[in-house]
Amino acid sequence: MKNSCRLYSPKRLTEGLDAPTRPAAVRHLGALFIGIAVFGSGGCTVLGAKPWEHDLLAERAMQVSAYPIEAGMDDHIYFSKEASSGGRSFAGGGCGCN
Amino acid sequence: MASPCVVLVDTNDAFLGAEVGEIVKTEALRIEAKFSRYRPSVVTHINETAGDALQVDDETADLIDYSMECYTLSEGLFDVTSGALRGAWKFDGSGRVPSEDQVRDALRHVGWSRVTWERPILRLQEGMEIDFGGIGKEYAVDRALALAAAHTRAPVLVNLGGDLRVSGPRQDATPWTIAIEDVDRVGSATGILELLSGALATSGDTHRFVRRPGVRYGHVLNPTTGWPIADAPRSVTVHAATCTEAGLLAKLALLQGARAEEFLKLEKVRAWCVR
Amino acid sequence: MQLKPRVAAPTPGVRRALAAAAAGLLAGGQAEAQEAPEDAPATTVDSALLVYHEVNRVQAIEPEVNVSHKLNEDSTFNLGITADSLTGATPLGAVPSTLPQTYVRPYKVIPLGTPVTVTSASGGSTVVLVPPPTGAKTQTLAASTIVPSNTYPLDRGFYDRRVAGHLGWEQALTQNLKLDGGVAYSKEHDYRSESAHIGLAQDLNGHNTTLSAAINYESDLSFPIGGTPTPLTQMNGDWKGRNATLHEIDAVVGITQVMSRRWLATLSYSYSDEHGYQTDPYKIISVVDPVSGQPNAQLYESRPDWRRKQSLFFDNKIHLARDVISASVRGFKDDWGIKSLTADLRYRWQIVSDFYLEPHLRYYTQGAADFFHYYLVSGEAVPQYASADTRLAKFHAQTYGMKFGVALNEISELNLRLEYYDQHGNGSPAGAIGQLQQQNLFPDLKAYTVLLGYTFAF
Repeated sequence: MKNSCRLYSPKRLTEGLDAPTRPAAVRHLGALFIGIAVFGSGGCTVLGAKPWEHDLLAERAMQVSAYPIEAGMDDHIYFSKEASSGGRSFAGGGCGCN
Repeated sequence: MASPCVVLVDTNDAFLGAEVGEIVKTEALRIEAKFSRYRPSVVTHINETAGDALQVDDETADLIDYSMECYTLSEGLFDVTSGALRGAWKFDGSGRVPSEDQVRDALRHVGWSRVTWERPILRLQEGMEIDFGGIGKEYAVDRALALAAAHTRAPVLVNLGGDLRVSGPRQDATPWTIAIEDVDRVGSATGILELLSGALATSGDTHRFVRRPGVRYGHVLNPTTGWPIADAPRSVTVHAATCTEAGLLAKLALLQGARAEEFLKLEKVRAWCVR
Repeated sequence: MQLKPRVAAPTPGVRRALAAAAAGLLAGGQAEAQEAPEDAPATTVDSALLVYHEVNRVQAIEPEVNVSHKLNEDSTFNLGITADSLTGATPLGAVPSTLPQTYVRPYKVIPLGTPVTVTSASGGSTVVLVPPPTGAKTQTLAASTIVPSNTYPLDRGFYDRRVAGHLGWEQALTQNLKLDGGVAYSKEHDYRSESAHIGLAQDLNGHNTTLSAAINYESDLSFPIGGTPTPLTQMNGDWKGRNATLHEIDAVVGITQVMSRRWLATLSYSYSDEHGYQTDPYKIISVVDPVSGQPNAQLYESRPDWRRKQSLFFDNKIHLARDVISASVRGFKDDWGIKSLTADLRYRWQIVSDFYLEPHLRYYTQGAADFFHYYLVSGEAVPQYASADTRLAKFHAQTYGMKFGVALNEISELNLRLEYYDQHGNGSPAGAIGQLQQQNLFPDLKAYTVLLGYTFAF
């Protein structure tokens, strides 16, 4: 019989939950540079996660706009020292410093 | 209820123990009788009146409200009208599996969306039935414990066939020791749990199932499709504040099939599964 | 036998509602029909203080506060205000020389006849009176700076105070469609900017895919002291040009895709169209002697009226067991001939549940604008557009940073970010004339940033 949840026997039971799964970091980094073709394929069920798998994505660190002030200040500094702009979002107010 | 029921009272007073036992037994039997599917009861009356409207009492109305809430939160997976699927799925050990048409026919009498519920008036469509079996036992544990706790301040544990709840820690704040029965070897313990508060409920799929190559179909059916859940754990035990909540979470986990553990982890439920 | 494989799953957060429903049932009252009250806080306050220090150049301090308030499940409004104070020295655009040089720019405009006490303008420059033309009602005080020999020319009197604010609104139109919009305003002593934007975001595939599109319109007014200088004319302290405007339209389209439970990717394309005054009124370009390389004239720079920019941005967030990797790449191109590439990598090392360390690396490389010249040569035809602003030159830059984050409780965080920016261009371009061969025409820019941030919610 395969126990996929841990059942302590006959020790004290404190947590009954699994150890976290091994991260698939290497696999994901390898796929990082997949071309644009994977996007926009309509009712694509290959990519994505089930609703109950959106847990990690809800964390602050995973938000695209996680630290808006920091991102805004970065954008402003680089805008005033370099010739490029744009990318993530609008600067939201010029400053004549470019 | 065919499973053993136990009441434990942590006290030196034997009379108190007997009194609490009596209170719990009375309440448990009352609920069993009221919502039984076999003997004449509120539920059998509802099922016989399917097709017409009828008025129900407050307690039944509360259970119906709760069932509807569970139906909504589980997006249809938990459905007290799913009993009608027994017409298609017999689970008599023959390993026989119904045809698509048989399942489709049975499904026509299943689905909370077909019920008209405007408290206190309930109207099932003809051929439908409701069954509180999925929540009745846990509800009875909570109700019985509430009555026992109202009667005495001594720590009480109420266990109705494996679904149990404690009123608090034992005297001197020590935990209750619960032995978890081995799924395969009845009577022998596979683990020990120390409980300080709350309730435990177990949902299981062990005994009746149909095996097909590579997949085990338990007797838990998905009321939205009419087919069994594939690769569900053999049992899920959940710890929560109340037995009602624990029981529902255990059933919902079982209904996730292969993803039971993920569901429990996501909802941050203290639980364990046996596969 | 056919088995339908997909099982609809309850949405996360079901537990709280179930607990409330069970509690309702057991209380003997009617089971709660609605979900447990949302105990997530409705108002988030995000604040930060930036201290920016360029070695031998500009220093800035900038506080900022953003408040975001959820009015109900569907609408949020946000409000932000920021101020910054810049002082220090900024490159003039002129080339260094073995001889000392004098630079002048307008400092103050006063009505004719006002008694003038000559004091020293900030940054060690002297105030001089510029003789007014006949019939003028005002006269200009100019600040005059002397740049020693063999020193990269900087305008030391540079100062700026800016105040900016923005107001925004986010509205969920349906479960999957969101509208957002906002306005922004920024003002400093010689520049004003107003902008408005509006955007839509559509979720598909069960919130796994988000398509977004937004458009922004910006209108700027440049009003340096004395008006704007006439481009490609000899530097003087008495500008006569009018205030100048700039209009910009930006459009962004993007797709954000949940690649897996642990990986979120975004691809976006933006296009900008700017029309109007894009010249920096304070920057000059030297005209040098064709043999000795000594500057013999300083002209105000000139940039085109139109600029069209495009960029493609690819961002990834990957959640490992506890840590998060953020990696992005941006490619940029415009019709001034500038091309650039940016690569940004952060690794959020979640040491314990309420403390993290985040090292950061950014690499940037850009090519020069078509009209960028380190200097002009006298005797040669003056081009229509010319600028010696090194921000338009070919260079590369690295940023190295470390961020420390402490979660004070479930909804508030204190963080500190330290960064070092190093910009390096070619200070000895091939073909440099005469004395310019021994000068550094593009000194490295090094800057330190300290950013203290505090977010809390209630």
